[in-house]
Amino acid sequence: MSLSMSLEKLATFRTNNTRASQETFKNASLILKTAKQLGDDGWAVLEQLFLASVDIGRLEVADQCLKQLAERFPDSPRVDVLTGIRMEATESPDVALKYYTQQLNADPANGAIWKRKISVLRRSGKIEKAAEELTQLLDTFYTDVDGWLELADIYTTCNQYILALQALSHVLLLAPQNPFYVLQFAETAYTANDLPLALKTFLVVVDMCERDIDSPKHKPAVGISVRAWLGIKLCSRRLMINSTPSASNTPIPKSLNLIEELATERVLEVYSSQGTAARRGQAAEGKDVVVGWIGAR
Amino acid sequence: MSSAVSLYLDPQIRDWVLFPITLVMILVGILRHYIMILLQSPPKKLPREALREQRALTRSQVLRSTAANSPIPPTYYKSISRHLSDAYEAGTYLKDGPPREGDAPKPPPNPMTDPAAMDGMMAGMKTQMVMMVPQMVIMGWINFFFQGFVLIKLPFPLTLGFKSMLQRGIETTDMDVRWVSSLSWYFLNFFGLNGLYRLILGGDNSADSSRDMTASPFGAPAAAGAQDFGKLFKAEISNLEFSEGVYSWVGEGVEERVLRRYGKIPAV
Repeated sequence: MSLSMSLEKLATFRTNNTRASQETFKNASLILKTAKQLGDDGWAVLEQLFLASVDIGRLEVADQCLKQLAERFPDSPRVDVLTGIRMEATESPDVALKYYTQQLNADPANGAIWKRKISVLRRSGKIEKAAEELTQLLDTFYTDVDGWLELADIYTTCNQYILALQALSHVLLLAPQNPFYVLQFAETAYTANDLPLALKTFLVVVDMCERDIDSPKHKPAVGISVRAWLGIKLCSRRLMINSTPSASNTPIPKSLNLIEELATERVLEVYSSQGTAARRGQAAEGKDVVVGWIGAR
Repeated sequence: MSSAVSLYLDPQIRDWVLFPITLVMILVGILRHYIMILLQSPPKKLPREALREQRALTRSQVLRSTAANSPIPPTYYKSISRHLSDAYEAGTYLKDGPPREGDAPKPPPNPMTDPAAMDGMMAGMKTQMVMMVPQMVIMGWINFFFQGFVLIKLPFPLTLGFKSMLQRGIETTDMDVRWVSSLSWYFLNFFGLNGLYRLILGGDNSADSSRDMTASPFGAPAAAGAQDFGKLFKAEISNLEFSEGVYSWVGEGVEERVLRRYGKIPAV
C-alpha cells in the first residue's frame, strides 16, 4: 500500500473517530520512522499510532511513539494524557490515579486529564467517586456530550434510572438532532417504568427518522426506527393492559388503540418483508418469534 | 505628456536602491514573523472556577436555543430552567463564590493593578514594538540615503490624483505621475507585501505590519477584562423566564403527527 493512501485512510479514521486499531496499526507502522518528515500531519499520525498500539498491546511501538512525541512537545498537555494512558496500560490503577491527580493539581482545568482520571476511577470500581468527579467536570464543561452519556451510563449501571434520564436530558439539549440519543432516552424511560414518557419519546424517534421518507406506509421501517416501533408496540401494549402513572406527569395519548394497531402493522411489515437484498427469498430472521409474540397478546 | 522619454534612470538605481529596499522589507517581514513566534507566550491557564464562570452562560443558552421545540419533556425542562435561574440569582457560578450579605459591590478591576490584565497588555506592547521598531529603522534608512530618489516608472498612465501617493518626498509639480519616488515605493511595499507573505509563510502569518497599525495594545484586553458576570447572570434570568413562556415539547402531539402520516387519522 502506498504512503499517501495509508495517510489518507488514517486521516479518515481520525476525522470519523474510528477505533480500527488493528488496521490503524498496520497503516501507521509503515510511517513510524518517517513521521518526522511528514510535518504537522505526522505528529497526529504518531498519536493515533500510539493509541492503536496500546489498544492492541504492542507496547514497544507505543513507547517509541511516545518518546518521539515527548521529545517534540515537551510540555504539551496532550502528551501528558498519552503518558497517563501508557501508565494505565501496565501500572496499577493507583499509580495512574496518582499521576492524574498530580497533573490535575498543576492545572485544574485540564479536561482531558480529568476525564482519564474519571475513567480510571470507574474502572477500578470506585463508581461513587467517579460519578461525583464526573458531575463536577460537567458542571465546569457543560457542553461535553460524551461526559453526559458516560454519567447516564454510570447511573444506569447503578439502577438509578431517574438520574440517568436527567443526564440524558442534557444530552438531548446539547445534541437535539441525533435520534440515537432520543432512542436511548426512550429506552431508559421504559426501564424506569415511565411508560407514557417512553411511548412519546419512541414516537419522537420515529417522527425524526421517517420524516424524510415520502410514503412511509409502503416501505418497511429500517435502522433504528425498527427498534423504536418495537418500543412503541411494547409501551402501548403494556399501557392498554394497565395504565401506570407517569413519574414525569406525561399524559397517556388518547389514540392509544390506533398507535398500537399501527405499531403492530409496522413491526409485522418489517419481519414479513422478504428481507434485504442479501437474504432475499427467505423470511427475516426471528420472524416466528416476533409474530408469535404479537399474536400472543 | 511628451512622447520622448524625459528622464533616464541609472540602472544602478534599480540594482542598488529599488531591489534592496524591496528585499530588505521582505526579509524584515519574515524575520518579524519568526520573532513573533518566539515572543508568543503560551495561552494562559484559567483556574477551574474562572472557566466555570465563563461557561456558565452557555448552559442557559443551550437550554433556550431549542426552547420553542424542545427535545426534553416539560418536567425536565422546568427543573433545569428553575435550577439555572436560582443559581444565577444566588451567584453560584461566580468565580469567587456567591456574594455574602453586606458585601459592598466590587468596583470594576483596574487594568493597571490586575496582573492578569497586565500580562495581556504587555503582550500587546511587545507586538507593537516588534512592528514599530524595524519599520521606523527602514524608513529612516530610506529617508537618509535615498531621499528624493526616483526609482521606477510605472508602465501605465495615471491621473494627477496619484501624485501625492507615488511621489512623496519629491516636491515637483510637473513631473509625470508615473515616476515613483523612494519613499512612496516604501509605502507601496509596506501595504502591498501581505500577499507575498501569505505565499511564503502561510495564511496566519504575523509578518504583515500594516494590519496591526490600527490595533491598539490597550484595546483588546480592556474589553475582555471588564465583563461583570454577576450582571450578565442577572440579565439571563429574564431570558430564561421568557423561554419558559415559549417552551413546547417536541413530543407534544407527536402521536397525532405520526398517525396522520400513516393515514390512521384524516389529515387536516
